[in-house]
Amino acid sequence: MVMSLAGVSLNRNGKQVLDNISGELKAGKIIALLGPNGAGKSTLIQSMARLLEHDGRIKLQEKDLADFSALQLAQHLAYLPQHSQLQFPLEVEEVLSLATLPFSLTKLQQRQQVKQVIREWGIEALADKDFRQLSGGEQQRCQIARTYLQLSNMVNSGKGQGIWLLDEPASSLDLEHQQQLQKICLQAASEGHCVVIVLHDLNQAFSLADEVWLLEKGKLVAQGPASDVMTERLISQVFNVSARRIEDSGRHYFIFS
Amino acid sequence: MIKKLLISPLGWLLGIFLSFGICIGALFLGSIDWQTLMYSEIGSKILWDIRIPRVLLAFVIGASLSLAGVLIQSNVRNPLADPSLIGVSAGAALGAALMIVLADFVDIQVQYYIPIAAFIGGVLATVAVLKLGRNDLPGGMALLILAGIAINVVAASLIGLLTYLATDSALRHITFWSLGSLASANYFWLTLCSLALLIVCLWLPKQHRKLDAILLGQAEANTMGVDVKRLQIQSIVLVALLAALAVSACGIIGFIGLVTPHIGRMLVGASHRYLLPLSFFLGGTLLVIADSIARSIIAPAELPIGIVTALLGAPVFIWLLLREGRRLQW
Repeated sequence: MVMSLAGVSLNRNGKQVLDNISGELKAGKIIALLGPNGAGKSTLIQSMARLLEHDGRIKLQEKDLADFSALQLAQHLAYLPQHSQLQFPLEVEEVLSLATLPFSLTKLQQRQQVKQVIREWGIEALADKDFRQLSGGEQQRCQIARTYLQLSNMVNSGKGQGIWLLDEPASSLDLEHQQQLQKICLQAASEGHCVVIVLHDLNQAFSLADEVWLLEKGKLVAQGPASDVMTERLISQVFNVSARRIEDSGRHYFIFS
Repeated sequence: MIKKLLISPLGWLLGIFLSFGICIGALFLGSIDWQTLMYSEIGSKILWDIRIPRVLLAFVIGASLSLAGVLIQSNVRNPLADPSLIGVSAGAALGAALMIVLADFVDIQVQYYIPIAAFIGGVLATVAVLKLGRNDLPGGMALLILAGIAINVVAASLIGLLTYLATDSALRHITFWSLGSLASANYFWLTLCSLALLIVCLWLPKQHRKLDAILLGQAEANTMGVDVKRLQIQSIVLVALLAALAVSACGIIGFIGLVTPHIGRMLVGASHRYLLPLSFFLGGTLLVIADSIARSIIAPAELPIGIVTALLGAPVFIWLLLREGRRLQW
């Protein structure tokens, strides 16, 4: 077990945003957080990243999350937010190199790692561009690459496998890059990392997630393997749509009307 | 490579402007041969007691305000922030004004207590602006600027109130703060301001990548191992120290803290590894030039330096506002 949550609750201005959430994140697994807008998915993932004050307990490798220093936490956990807020002219290469910040690397090692990531992600043409001038999808790809580099460094530096928290990473990606994201998530899980991903595409959750946490109004409605949790009845009820689940060659899909 | 090449000639440029600043003024020292200058009583007095401390102080204050501008802009991730715009300088001026007025009623050594009062005023104003502004919230950028305007208004009205209570000599003293001038430069202020700048320069080298991370957002910086709260508190204290000492030494000098970091970013980008040394040199050099203009354009009289920096900086600020507005579609 990499992380455990026990009775995590969060009340914001009298509204219960998270209500008694408990669960476990295991190494090598992909957990998809699903739910309609305002269900508390981003709030939950931010609580896991220790970005929000909450009630209840979150433990990382059997140690209370609050006991980690910012640096120690960054050596075990990488977080991708929904949106980039950069207001200043940083180059893509400079943004990527920040992934090495929590680790003691020489300047040469930093440069080599950044060059390698740029090559692997096929973003050579963007490397010296102002990050703010990129399209939403390009920015997202760079940020995913940055957090993946941070994750890779956890193993390289001997800190062991980490947790990759992705808040709606696919929202501005085209189909090709959604597939690339899917591949990289599977690769991260195969390397032993735990991936927590907020998704809106239920079919993507079917093909990607080992486990699904379904949220509604801050409550964890269901938790377990995708095929058990994502039933027609539950999905129709939580998302307030008419959903039909079909099976083709052993794979499950949802059709909505 | 280009970024490194840009920074190295600045040392030469700085030397030229410092020499230029020392020479010009009511009496042009460049036309006097150095033996007369060094051995005549009046020549050496002008050189050592007036020009050299003044030009060096102009450089130190310019560099201080510029670094304070970079620090505050990066920490609140707001390109329009600067120590005077978000109320830090006004808070410091209020602290100084309060001490000047109090000095008439209580027997204290004003010269030594003014920096402390200005520092406390600067810190309180910064904390108030950050609490009111909530830059971490959506729309927080506009809130931060509005909070700065509110603090500026409150400080200005309280300074106004103090002027009613002030004696004639205190009033003259307060007026000096609000206009800004390097005329009272001496080695005491030069030493004090240089020490503060040295503290900041010793602190900065280990922070440049953390400041880069903050530019991406507080959440990103936190999860990249930066103790954002700690870094922000340290930055606020140092910005208040730099701004408060600058205000104590020569009153409110606007726009240097706002404009020089932007010129720096246009030249080398936002990476603090290059931006910090460049802003240091640019800020210092710009204030030396502004002070040279202020004391030579209507010589033997002097223009308040705040007027010169405002005249130079305001058009740049308006252009920045328009550019940011277009980009953010305000």
